[in-house]
Amino acid sequence: MRLLIIEDYRPLQKSLAKGLREAGFAVDITGNGEEGLWYAMGNDYDVIILDLMLPGIGGLKILKQLRAKGRQSHVLILTAKDTLEDRITGLDLGADDYLVKPFAFEELLARVRALVRRSYQEKSPLIQIKDLRIDLTTQRVWRGREELHLTPREYALLEYLAMRAGQTVSRAEIWEHLYEFNSLASSNVVDVYIGYLRRKIERPGKPALIRTVRGRGYILGAQP
Amino acid sequence: MRSLRARLLVGVISGMALLLVVFSIIIYTVFRRALVNQFDASLAATARILAASVEYEGDEIELELDFQKMPEFQRVERPAYYQLWRDDGTVAARSPSLGTDNLLRLEGSLGVLVFQALQTGSGHPGRAVALKFRPKIEGRDADQQPANQQPLTVVVARDASGLHSNLQFLGWLLLIASVGTITLSFLFAVFVVRQGLSPLDSIATEIASVREDDLTTRIGTTSVPEEILPIKNRLNDLLSRLEDAFKRERRFTADVTHELRTPLAGIRSSIEVALTRARDTTEYRVVLSECLAIVENMQTMVNNLLMIARLDACQVTFRQEQTRLEKLVNSCWRCFSDKALERGIIFENRVPAEMTCESDPDSLSMVLSNLLDNAVEYTNEGGQIWTTGGQADDCVEITVANTGCQLTSEEISQVLECFWRHDSSRTDTGAHCGLGLALVQRLIRALGGCTTVEVQNGGVFTVRLVLPRPAKS
Repeated sequence: MRLLIIEDYRPLQKSLAKGLREAGFAVDITGNGEEGLWYAMGNDYDVIILDLMLPGIGGLKILKQLRAKGRQSHVLILTAKDTLEDRITGLDLGADDYLVKPFAFEELLARVRALVRRSYQEKSPLIQIKDLRIDLTTQRVWRGREELHLTPREYALLEYLAMRAGQTVSRAEIWEHLYEFNSLASSNVVDVYIGYLRRKIERPGKPALIRTVRGRGYILGAQP
Repeated sequence: MRSLRARLLVGVISGMALLLVVFSIIIYTVFRRALVNQFDASLAATARILAASVEYEGDEIELELDFQKMPEFQRVERPAYYQLWRDDGTVAARSPSLGTDNLLRLEGSLGVLVFQALQTGSGHPGRAVALKFRPKIEGRDADQQPANQQPLTVVVARDASGLHSNLQFLGWLLLIASVGTITLSFLFAVFVVRQGLSPLDSIATEIASVREDDLTTRIGTTSVPEEILPIKNRLNDLLSRLEDAFKRERRFTADVTHELRTPLAGIRSSIEVALTRARDTTEYRVVLSECLAIVENMQTMVNNLLMIARLDACQVTFRQEQTRLEKLVNSCWRCFSDKALERGIIFENRVPAEMTCESDPDSLSMVLSNLLDNAVEYTNEGGQIWTTGGQADDCVEITVANTGCQLTSEEISQVLECFWRHDSSRTDTGAHCGLGLALVQRLIRALGGCTTVEVQNGGVFTVRLVLPRPAKS
C-alpha cells in the first residue's frame, strides 16, 4: 500500500517514513504544502498523512483542494492542534481520521491499516481466499494449515491483490500502489515479484490462486 | 462606619432628632412662658383687687372682700390664699383658707409685682405674687391720700397644678411626637435608602456572577443611576483588560503546548520506530543523536521562555560594564560562521572598532546571538548579513540587517510577538520557534533601550537596537 506523508518537521518525517516502510508500506515524503498537493493530485495514494501547519499551503487548504478535485485518498490529519474546533473543522473538510501529536506510533500504524482496509471496503483484518488466509494486522499468511513466509515486498503484493480479490489488477496499478515515487525499479519488477509470490503460495494439484489475464493484468482468487 | 446604608441612616436620623429636640424645646419654652404669664396676670389681677379692697380706718385696716364673688379663698379643694402684712411685719389679714398658717412674705418695691413659685400647704405646686401698696384712707379721695402713710404688702398664692399638668402634658406630647416621628422617619429612611442603594446591590450581584472562566460578561447591562455609571464603566474596562490578559495567557499556553508537542512527537516516534525491531548499534546511535538534537532545541526553547518570563516579572539583574561592540559582534558570529559558509552567506561587521557601550555584556551577547542566528536562518542562499553601529550623545545604536526577507510591512509589526513565524519559515519546528525576537525586544527593554524592525525595498530586514548611554559625570 502506498502512503504520502506531508509533514514539515524533519525528525518526525524521517522516523514516520522509516517506521511505515518497515511495516510494509511504500511511502512518499514531502515537507512542503505545495509539493504535497502536487504529489497527492498526481498519484492514487491509499492514505495521506497530513500535518496542518505547513510552509507553502496549509494542510486544511490541501485537504479542501483534494476533495474539491474529487480525490478519494483517505486522509489522516496528524497535528499538534488539539482543540475540538480544530478536529471538527478537519473532519468536516473531508479528513477520515485525526491524530494529535505526540502519539504512539503503534496507534498511527493501526489507524493507517484501518484506513487502508476501508479503502478497499474490507472490514475484517483477516482475509480468506479459498484456503489462503491473510492476517492484515500481524502480516502473517497461511495456506491451509501451513504458514507461508513472505518477504515484505511479496507480502505487500499479496495484500494488494487480496484487497482487490476477484478483480483484474493491472501492472500499472500494482506499480502505483506498491512503489514509491522515486523508486528506481522498472515495471517488469512486478512480473518478477508475481513469479516469486506464485512460487510461495501455489501448491501443485490445487487450483491456481493467481491467474494472469493476458494483456490486462492479474487476478487473485476469481472463479473461472 | 463601613456600611454606606448605615452611614446615610445615622446621618439623616441623628440630624432629624437634633432638629426635633431643638424645635420641641422652643415650643415648650414658648408655651410655658405664655401659660405662666397668663396665670401670673390673673394672680396679679387678684392681688390688685385685694389691694384695692384694703382701707385704713384710722389705724385699723379694713378688708372689704365679697367672698361670694371670690369663693376660691374659702373653698377646701385647692383653695387660693392671701396674706396681708403691715410694714413692720405684723399680719393684718389672711384668707380663711390659710387658717393659722403663713405665706412666705415676699419683699418688693412699692407698686411692683413680685412673682415666685412655691408649694402650697397641701403639697401642690403653686405660684405667688406680692404687691407692696399704700391702702386708701376711708372717706378721702385718691388725691388726698397722705404720702407718708405706711405701706402694706399683700401676697396672693394659688394652686398651679392645672398649669403644671398642662405643661407636663405638653412635654409628653412633644416627647411622644418626637419619638414617633423619629421612629417613623427611621423606617421611612430605611426604605428610601434601600430603594436608593438597590442599584448597588444589583451591580454587586452582577459582579458576583462574573466567573473566572468566562470574562466576556459585562456589568450594568440594565440602566444604572448616573452616580454609579463611572464605577460601572471602570469595572467594565477592568474586565476587558482582564479578558485580554487571560486571552493572551491562554494563547501563550496554547502556543507553548503546540511548540512542545511537535518535538515530543518527533522524539517519541523516533524511539518507538527504533524499538519495533532489533537493530545494529549504528542505527541506535543515529536515532539517539537525532533525539539529542531535538532535546537540545527544546531546551533552548524552554530557556528562552524562562528568560522571557523572568524579564516580564522583572527578576533579572544586570551589571554595567564598558563593552567593545565590534569584538562582541565578532565573538557572537563565531557560532554561526560555519552555517553561513555552508549557505554561501557573506557577513560584514561594520561596527566601528573604537565603539563602546556601557551595558550588560551577557545580555548584549544573547541579543546579538539571537539576531545573528535568525539572520543566518532566514537570509537567502548567497545573501548578505551586516551589522552597523553608531552613537549620539545620549544613545548607542546597533543594527543587524540581512537580505532575502519576504515579509510584508503588515507582517513586520507581528515579528516581535512570541511564537510568531512567517509561513515560509516554518520548517524545522523547534529550532526556530519564534521566541528569538520576542526575547531580544524584552532584553533591550529591560536594559532601558528599544527595538525596531523594518523591511526595506529589495527584502532587506533590519533590526535596530537603541540603548541609552549613561551621562558622563
